[in-house]
Amino acid sequence: MFREGPATTASPGKASLDTRYGLLGALLIAPTVLVFCAVIVYPLISAIYLGLFSIYTPTMEGEWVGMDNYRRLLASGEFWRSLLNNVIWTVGTLALQVIFGILVALMLHRNLVFRAFARSLVLFPYFLSTVVAVLVWRWLFNDLYGVLNHLLMWAGIVDMPVDWLGTMPNAMVSLILVGAWKYFPFVVIAVLARLQSIPDELYEAASIDGAGAWGRFVDVTLPQLRDVLIVVVLLRTIWDFKEFDLIYLLTGGGPIIGTQTLPLMVYKEAFALNQMGGASAVAVLMMLIMLLFMILYLSRARD
Amino acid sequence: MNGLQNKGGMTRRRALQGALALSAGAAGLYPATGRPNTTLRWWSTQSSPEQLAAYRYQIAAFEAQHPGVQVLFEKTSDEGYPAQLAAAFAGGNVPNLVTHLPSFAVADYWNAGLLSPFDAVIDAVGAGRFFDGTNRVYELEPGVHAAAGIGNTAANMLWLRTDLMEKAGIERPPATWDELRAACARMQGRGVYGAQFPYAKNSATSLVIICFIHGAGGQVLSPELEVAIESPAAVNALEFYRSMREFCPPGATGYSWGESLGAFVSGAAATGLYAGRVLVNVSNRNPRLKEHITCVTFPTVSADVPAWTFNDYPSVFIPADAPDRELTRQFATWLYEGEGYIRQLHATPGHILPVLKTAAQDERYLDHELVRRYSGEIALMSTEAAAGHNLGWESPAHRINVKAGALINSGVLAEMVQRVVLNEERPRVVLADTARRIEAIMKA
Repeated sequence: MFREGPATTASPGKASLDTRYGLLGALLIAPTVLVFCAVIVYPLISAIYLGLFSIYTPTMEGEWVGMDNYRRLLASGEFWRSLLNNVIWTVGTLALQVIFGILVALMLHRNLVFRAFARSLVLFPYFLSTVVAVLVWRWLFNDLYGVLNHLLMWAGIVDMPVDWLGTMPNAMVSLILVGAWKYFPFVVIAVLARLQSIPDELYEAASIDGAGAWGRFVDVTLPQLRDVLIVVVLLRTIWDFKEFDLIYLLTGGGPIIGTQTLPLMVYKEAFALNQMGGASAVAVLMMLIMLLFMILYLSRARD
Repeated sequence: MNGLQNKGGMTRRRALQGALALSAGAAGLYPATGRPNTTLRWWSTQSSPEQLAAYRYQIAAFEAQHPGVQVLFEKTSDEGYPAQLAAAFAGGNVPNLVTHLPSFAVADYWNAGLLSPFDAVIDAVGAGRFFDGTNRVYELEPGVHAAAGIGNTAANMLWLRTDLMEKAGIERPPATWDELRAACARMQGRGVYGAQFPYAKNSATSLVIICFIHGAGGQVLSPELEVAIESPAAVNALEFYRSMREFCPPGATGYSWGESLGAFVSGAAATGLYAGRVLVNVSNRNPRLKEHITCVTFPTVSADVPAWTFNDYPSVFIPADAPDRELTRQFATWLYEGEGYIRQLHATPGHILPVLKTAAQDERYLDHELVRRYSGEIALMSTEAAAGHNLGWESPAHRINVKAGALINSGVLAEMVQRVVLNEERPRVVLADTARRIEAIMKA
């Protein structure tokens, strides 16, 4: 019998094999999908859902309030102040991390004595537990026994100990500096790896064209670092934006709410005020803000 | 003979299984009685090295009497317990027993239905052995106690350095705020600050400012629990608290209880606002001050206003969802028993004061170097603590405030202090705003 229609290349046996391959593929990817759903999709949906309720944290019981949590937050000065703090902290610490990171990476790229040792040493702050790092810094900043104040007074720069963590803007400045110290090694690792793969011919060609050290850095090194810096800035922005432990342990968000960022506000709503619904609403807003930043940043980077 | 078999006919696998079972037995996985292991988890905010040693003694004695039972002590802190307990309650992973939390936290949890009645333990200890009225703050429903007191604390005594007072020509301890200011001004200098008040954004600052509001004759809430903080007395308290900033170390803006204590004990502050832990800390960490410290009730705005002592009424309670509740009650009862309870008291003499008449009169309790040396101070703290109050129960006329824990944890009072002291905002404006925030929390 003649049958008109699209030509089929697969025999019944082949179709069955394709189906089996398809099923095998689904089976192989299933664990990943399940884990993704468990650790990403479920918490995300859960946070959005909880944000629509007024929930007492210890009992996790509450009532439906719809968008009230969001309306309350957006109308409160505390949310906007926390967001502003979040932006100041993220931009401040990220800028310092990138600048220090590139400078140190350039230094470690040169033929130094004990270069291997110096490379290991520079990673130390990044590997140090945040709790330990904060304890060390709190002692350095201590008003009565801190080395920093002793040095400043000994040098005659100040007459009385400086209150590094209890007043503004000192608290935010200290926070940004400690954050930069803690996380700049990540930038060093990434930039150093890229520096080692830049062909020497590019520098030689630039030198022949009459470029000095600054010219070689601006016209050769920086463009070559562009891709790696995009990734570094993207990752560190995400991590710094949601930083909790370092800020909480160093200043607790104070004085008043001078260094309170959105993650600290989530914690405060959830555990100090026992309002899990409000905390979820802050977390959802935070996610949306970050998403917006990321879309903008990636579109700019692509351009 | 098979190479895997030894002379006794035992296979290597069986020998390994036997060794494993022995190791497990030694590690306590299989107790001698054959009962499955039971672990009781005990949380406390009080965990100085001296206290941990006392707890270890009590735990070891209890475990010896109850084979197969293990008691696991887990530290929490004054600043950390609200979050830790909220997470534990929410996750259904609660400890069996919690001790030393303030009475207002107990009221908060009881109100949410999170605690188990504690009357069986009080009866087992012997209700008549407690000092009269010790457990009244825990009777949150008629005839039902949510917890019991494990000690008393007079948290806002004024500690003084008698050597510095003498040097400054101060003849008697300050009794009013003006006298305190003058004394601090005269003793401050040469690396010594006049005082060590907390100005941080934490619960210590919140709790301390309440003492000053009462010391000015005011109150945070009325006896009917209406917001009453917006008053001339509270303005006075905030202005005085701000005026004392110049006598406190610069880092007092980050002080909690521990740092405040450290400042006095180390000799960096001439006066101290604290409880009896000063005694053991001075004795162990700065013994040269042992002869030069004493305490009095904290000054008030004037002689007309009586002292208001802050007693957080350290408690013992059992969460409603705690497993092994009967065994937990036995352990809670055990904490009050003889030598163990006295060791707890001796760990910080004068800080955790006895709630049992029998313990207070016990020769073993009285026969301690610090209890003997500072008998006057400890007697004063005991009297003051017994008549003490806190935000959960501001005066004998007040109803129990089940929202006190939420008020403290919200940080609204500490922020009020920081706005006045650090931002130099006008107390009246800040108080009006604070009153609104307190009102919202009370109604939530």
